[in-house]
Amino acid sequence: MTMAPDEGRAPSAPQKTGGAFAPLFRFRGKAGSGVEAVVGILAALLVIGLWELAARLHLIAPQFLPSPFEVLQAGWRMLTTQSLLYHAGVSTGRVWAAFLLAAAMAIPIGILMSSYRIVGAALEPMVDFIRYLPVPALVPLSIIWFGVGESTKIFLLWLGTFFQLVLMVADDMRRVPNEYVEVARTVGANSRQVMIDVALRAMGPSLVDNLRITLGWCWTYLIIAEIVASNSGIGFVIWSARRFVKTPEVMAGVVVIGIIGLITDQLLRALHRRMFRYL
Amino acid sequence: MTYLRFQSITKRFDTVEVIHPTSIDIERGELVVFLGPSGCGKTTLMRMVGGLDDPTTGQILLDGQAVTTPDRRRGMVFQSYSSFPWLTVAENIAYGMKYRNDMTAAEKAERTAHYLSLVGLRDFAASYPNRISGGMRQRVAIARTLAAGSEVLLMDEPFGALDALTRERLQVQLREIHRREGKTIIFVTHDVEEAVFLADRIIVFSARPARVLADVDVTATLGADRSLDIRETREFFDLRNKVLHMIRHETETA
Repeated sequence: MTMAPDEGRAPSAPQKTGGAFAPLFRFRGKAGSGVEAVVGILAALLVIGLWELAARLHLIAPQFLPSPFEVLQAGWRMLTTQSLLYHAGVSTGRVWAAFLLAAAMAIPIGILMSSYRIVGAALEPMVDFIRYLPVPALVPLSIIWFGVGESTKIFLLWLGTFFQLVLMVADDMRRVPNEYVEVARTVGANSRQVMIDVALRAMGPSLVDNLRITLGWCWTYLIIAEIVASNSGIGFVIWSARRFVKTPEVMAGVVVIGIIGLITDQLLRALHRRMFRYL
Repeated sequence: MTYLRFQSITKRFDTVEVIHPTSIDIERGELVVFLGPSGCGKTTLMRMVGGLDDPTTGQILLDGQAVTTPDRRRGMVFQSYSSFPWLTVAENIAYGMKYRNDMTAAEKAERTAHYLSLVGLRDFAASYPNRISGGMRQRVAIARTLAAGSEVLLMDEPFGALDALTRERLQVQLREIHRREGKTIIFVTHDVEEAVFLADRIIVFSARPARVLADVDVTATLGADRSLDIRETREFFDLRNKVLHMIRHETETA
């Protein structure tokens, strides 16, 4: 019996069932990032659609759950007539000021804590204690100390992030493989050179990741600070709208924070990819 | 005068004796393998030559001078994290000369190019370590120590994480590099076959606390010129078995 060369062979190309989305349903399957982005957007649209539907059908009273469209309208109104951009700018400024202050202190101190046992031994118990204190519990104290001006807000944000960040930095430093340090020392690097040329480079990727995460926490504490003691910023906007039960405006304020967070996070991720191309 | 001398070295960690009083003399240009059961203290002994660990008593003498700190004359090649992931292959090799003020940039570049081709990585000069194979990464580390001007190469199970075929190839290449560059090499391993193929001389250590069990002159049996075929000869086989028995006895009593 003779066979044509192609007969009797297993199908040469993997069978396409379900197209580009099929791998999403396979256990630990991989899909292109394009596909994942489409799925992400579709899922968000679905949730918004259900929300719109629930509001339209008056399943929930509008003062509790206004429709997405009303939230959008409120957002537009706030943007055009109630200087929403100004408040968003004020909030962003506070977040970055506190974040940069916390980072500028946490990076050197964290590095010292894991590089020199005595520094770690001295600071770690205190840091561990303070980092478990809930920030809202310290609001009264910070008002007594700093009044209700900008310094209170910066202080509260700093308090919420510095003590967490310092331990994360110390950990990043501790995880720098000893081999790297020893390679540097055996080719003649002094302590300063080991630190700058090797340790900082080695911890770079995880440090930038931790900074990104910490920046997110700043927003959490910012709203607390602005609700308690402020007459500007997104937290203030949300809190004032609440007093008049302007639910659409409350929600619009929350959405603005989400959007700022999303954009910042994506920018920092892009920066991370650019800085650490070798990964 | 002996080139590298371990003079009555001992090492204790707290109350645990890691190294029993040990003296070893190594000649310039020898490729010496430290062979012993895992965790026996052979790595600690080698690290002392690098100035990375201190003996509790005794001293290491290089050219008659006591070793106290790390120095680029004594370069390390580790099993993992042997090269910096943020530097390209060429930059990793050049890193060996980064802190030398006695060389011009042109000299450094020339030397980098020389060692890049010595280890056969010219085509990968601009690649990052994460993009090349484990065997290539180890060659980068060897080239870096050579570029640094190391006279003694300290290799801590450098091929331990590689697959068997890559490992064989690197062993051949290391013999070749040793022949061409004439450096003194201390190579730590627990793989008997690797030890017999590579070594001019094997120092066999006991289980902890480390003590020299035997000093085997491999070159006297196998000669200095070795190809992979030598692994199939009677002499290689016999020597391997002899060393294996010493080690096996140790791991049983340990």
